[in-house]
Amino acid sequence: MADPSVLALREQFHDPEQQRETSTVGMWVFLVTEVMLFGGLFTAFFVYRLSHPVAFDRGSADMEFVIGAVNTAVLIFSSFAMAMAVHSAEVGKRGRLAVFLLLTMLVGFVFLGLKFWEYYLHYLHHEFPAISFHNTRPDAAYVQMFFVFYFLMTGLHAFHMIIGEGVLGATLLRTLLGSFSESYHTPVELAGLYWHFVDTVWVFLFAIFYIPGAHLR
Amino acid sequence: MSQPTVSVRTYAFTLMGLLGLTLLTSLAGLQDLGRWNVPIALVIALAKASLIAAFFMHAFYDSKLVRVVLAGGVIWFLILITLTLVDYITRGWLPFPGK
Repeated sequence: MADPSVLALREQFHDPEQQRETSTVGMWVFLVTEVMLFGGLFTAFFVYRLSHPVAFDRGSADMEFVIGAVNTAVLIFSSFAMAMAVHSAEVGKRGRLAVFLLLTMLVGFVFLGLKFWEYYLHYLHHEFPAISFHNTRPDAAYVQMFFVFYFLMTGLHAFHMIIGEGVLGATLLRTLLGSFSESYHTPVELAGLYWHFVDTVWVFLFAIFYIPGAHLR
Repeated sequence: MSQPTVSVRTYAFTLMGLLGLTLLTSLAGLQDLGRWNVPIALVIALAKASLIAAFFMHAFYDSKLVRVVLAGGVIWFLILITLTLVDYITRGWLPFPGK
């Protein structure tokens, strides 16, 4: 397996610090494109929300609020585990790095499990647009629109989580194969940046989908 | 042993802060605050996102270049959402006949 000391400075870079910063900036630029991807959806959501506030509050009241709140805490804890993984990599503790990466992944799977259970509950309650939707309110079409946004945005988020699990799995494998050291662990940091970003997106999803109608439950 | 960017202590405080804000936003959401429910939820979400970016993602400790990239993303998103919503919010303000 690749020797960390070779990976730490490839020939096109002046020094390891420049190499690390190049990677970090590249990752942030990618995350900015992700902000734009989700940003378009957030904008569309607010356009509809402003046009149909009552129907959107009604849709929000049908959210599984408790599962959503617990899942927010779960994802925050997963982010903390990831931060601890980066910390372990920085001080060169490979065993601890592997444990924290595994913990991050496991807690991430708990989040996905709760998320899909929630989808199933919406399916049972006929709140699943196009497939199983039944609502007798006069503004049912816009309640359904709320759920279209909900499934589209949380689905895209869950898709990012699944990709993240893959990235973390690969990072864990490379950790076990000894690719990282105190002097070279940039991929751990970049995987962390991605994971924290996905967490940040969820924080906003929780705020716009679960909170507005929580008091109407 | 090299010096880590952020101490375990700081990470632990960030975790506590995030969990505290999650509890706060959940409790605030269960109250009927009229038109303030959504703005309050968004402000708390913004505070949480800032904590994650600053400490978990090290933006607070990173180079100026990283912070410029981050600020660029945020500003670009604000342009997207404000200009769009300014249009939609103000459409009904002037009573044009036949509109």
